[in-house]
Amino acid sequence: SAYSFSLTTFSRTGKLLQIEYALNAVANGRTSLGIAAKDGVVIATDKKLASSLVDVGNVSKVEAVGEAAGGGSGMVYSGVGPDYRVLVRNARKSAQTYYRQYREPKPISQLVKSTASLMQEYTQSGGVRPFGVSLLMAGLDADGTPKLFQVDPSGAYFGWKATAIGKNYLNAKAFLEKRYQEDMELEDAVHTALLTLREGFEGEMTAHNIEVGVVSKTDGKFRVLTPEQVQDYLDEAT
Amino acid sequence: MSRDSNYDHHISIFSPQGRLYQMEYAFKAANTSSGLTGVAVRGANSCVVVTQKKVPDRLMDPASISSVHAITPSIGALTCGLHADARAVVQRARYEASDFAYKYGYPIPVAQLARRVADIAQVYTQSASMRPLAVTTLLVGVDDAGVGPQVYKVDCAGHFLPFFGTAAGAKEQEATNFLEKRVDDMKAYTADETVRCAIMCLGSVLGSDFRGSEIEVAVVDGVRGQFTKLTEEDIEKHLEAIADSED
Repeated sequence: SAYSFSLTTFSRTGKLLQIEYALNAVANGRTSLGIAAKDGVVIATDKKLASSLVDVGNVSKVEAVGEAAGGGSGMVYSGVGPDYRVLVRNARKSAQTYYRQYREPKPISQLVKSTASLMQEYTQSGGVRPFGVSLLMAGLDADGTPKLFQVDPSGAYFGWKATAIGKNYLNAKAFLEKRYQEDMELEDAVHTALLTLREGFEGEMTAHNIEVGVVSKTDGKFRVLTPEQVQDYLDEAT
Repeated sequence: MSRDSNYDHHISIFSPQGRLYQMEYAFKAANTSSGLTGVAVRGANSCVVVTQKKVPDRLMDPASISSVHAITPSIGALTCGLHADARAVVQRARYEASDFAYKYGYPIPVAQLARRVADIAQVYTQSASMRPLAVTTLLVGVDDAGVGPQVYKVDCAGHFLPFFGTAAGAKEQEATNFLEKRVDDMKAYTADETVRCAIMCLGSVLGSDFRGSEIEVAVVDGVRGQFTKLTEEDIEKHLEAIADSED
């Protein structure tokens, strides 16, 4: 780009304000959360859309990554949607490139590192702003352990047992902390995820205004649940 | 540089609250600069775009002024916003659609084209060296293989969503309210009903009747149907049918 200097620079107090502001953009985004159970991971998000005119069935926020490359990872975000698409595309290409070279699916921890590295570049390269999203990336790692990671606009990443991002994330995290158990099973994790999402939900939560993705140790593939499957879980919860 | 909070109004960097002012200003320009409103409606097997046709000067050739563009023979676009930026978006969309067909051997689905136009718009919101294009694009087409008619709205921020019916421009909110009331009926509309719904929507928000020469209407009817602009006579026929049904 024509700008050869970084737009993200240190303030007098040593802060990188553009990154902090990007985090504010994330905190204004729709809530997303994830839980790593002992036999799988669940991630979910609030998909409430502005109008009944939107064909909501064709909108997806939870995306699978690396399917064609034998992998079963998935991701979701809170923040600026268009920025997220760039990161999904990047993660998919990265998974495929890895597979082409090693003929093995790229482990989630490696995918997280590459994505985080890209996000860091945008905090330092010339003429660009940081990505306005935090990601929740889920998958089975190289040794088969279910893992959940958060990646922030700064490029910092953290492994979580359970976490939430976006609007109301503090309440959601407090709720999760109370209910998380070390030996939690995937089914319970999905229920807990839905309960947590409902806590901060404005209006009525239905199978059509949320999205849930799950990867289980049994088959190692990441799947986005259909509205019917989500409805089954919602019915069980009541 | 980012310490100076005024720069966040000039280029695409975050404001302290995490907003992108340049993107918001581009939105404003796209919606209010031309003063026009455009509507797109999706029926059971067809899609329609309708917009006002305002010729700024009587000496101008009306045929040269249009917000309705064919991107491929069966995908059309209605652009709302700065005329020159709209031309840039249309040119690029045409190239992308053509490149897709060349590389993959089949016509680009509407959703893919919308995604591509949106991804390009996103780059302008993240790269400081280029400003966002002040255009909201309504893409319409009828895909095959069980997907059916599609209406996609792509905005200057790079958001894109599929709609049953939507609007853009000066009276976007009023038009959307009109369409929301009819969203359940829309799914079963025939081609004629789709056209008339879109025209009535525009009529109700503009609060005036118009003649066939004052609006532009374009339709895609049937799977991979031709994106066709209606002639003044066709439009007049629809206007008469609407007037009759209201009596």
